[in-house]
Amino acid sequence: MSVIGECLVAFVFGSIVGLLVQRSRFCNTAALRDAMLFKTYRNTKPLLMGMMILTFGFTLFLTFGEGKAMHFDVGLNQVAGLFVFGIGMVLAGACTVSTWVKAGEGNVGAMWALLFTFIGMFLFSLLWSENFWPPASISMTGEPNLEALQLGFINARTLQDKFGVPAVIFGMVQVFLLGLIYRAIVKKEQAQLLEHDKVAAAHKVEFAEAA
Amino acid sequence: MVALTLIAVLDIFLFLLVGAWTVGGGETMITGLVAQFFLGDELSRIPFWNLVFVPDAGYWKIYISLGMLFGAIVSAVLSKEFYLRFPRRLGEWVMITIGGLLMGFGIRLAFVCNVSTFFGLTPQMNLGGYLAISGILAGAWVGSWIYKKVLEG
Repeated sequence: MSVIGECLVAFVFGSIVGLLVQRSRFCNTAALRDAMLFKTYRNTKPLLMGMMILTFGFTLFLTFGEGKAMHFDVGLNQVAGLFVFGIGMVLAGACTVSTWVKAGEGNVGAMWALLFTFIGMFLFSLLWSENFWPPASISMTGEPNLEALQLGFINARTLQDKFGVPAVIFGMVQVFLLGLIYRAIVKKEQAQLLEHDKVAAAHKVEFAEAA
Repeated sequence: MVALTLIAVLDIFLFLLVGAWTVGGGETMITGLVAQFFLGDELSRIPFWNLVFVPDAGYWKIYISLGMLFGAIVSAVLSKEFYLRFPRRLGEWVMITIGGLLMGFGIRLAFVCNVSTFFGLTPQMNLGGYLAISGILAGAWVGSWIYKKVLEG
């Protein structure tokens, strides 16, 4: 596909996502934060649902060698980077997607967060230019490089090549595990609702006695 | 739920055409282009912008982000939800500033953001997805703890 074609497809995809996220008020930050702080899961369930669909779809196409999978070595920098990111997104009250969407709604705080995301990236570029860690993709080999705290490249397709089991089988195991988490959340919500009804009923009795 | 299901299905098509939905690469490229605008050739003296991200306006990931902004504006205007809103307290401004800096720094350190973690790497069963999820869960927990302290104090 030509460069312009790629950019056009990306823009159309982005526009639809922006529209859907704005209407649904889905927020990845809330999916994690609300589950941890308030034990509410309104955003966590769609996140899991999306991951289940994608796991099945991606691994199915990877089985046949289709699709453009992300290809770079991974290692400790993913843990460290997302740890820093996780703190940041809760403090900023939005992740990368919701900052763009909220900025589109006229939220000046989100525009401000976006501006400082850019500044954070620029600061990182200065630091990287001093220590060159994590390794740039041009120096990646796909093999573990423990000196640079890198573990190499492994995904559903490399598992297929190594074990001779279709990638989609691994994918279905992951879908099943995500489904178990989903079910645990639904059960927890039902228990919360039951508890809520019990407390409400108890209050009703108190009110009736007082009257 | 409906929205995320639709996004997931569209994302599979995008995965087949150019690559899975990702946010962060586009932002980095925008940062580079803006920096190039102000610094000119000076920028290429910083190795990162020579070796990792060479500023290029034809990078498709930029247009996902611009698309999200555009889609959100259209959607907000149509549903009469577009209006300027400002953080009220100084504390909020401080939290957003620090949060933004940490997000930008973290994305570049990890090569991925939360979108690629949950909707890209992990569904491809890339080892990096699981590493990133362990990081973001710990980070969100620490962030929530700080957030709670700030709300209470």
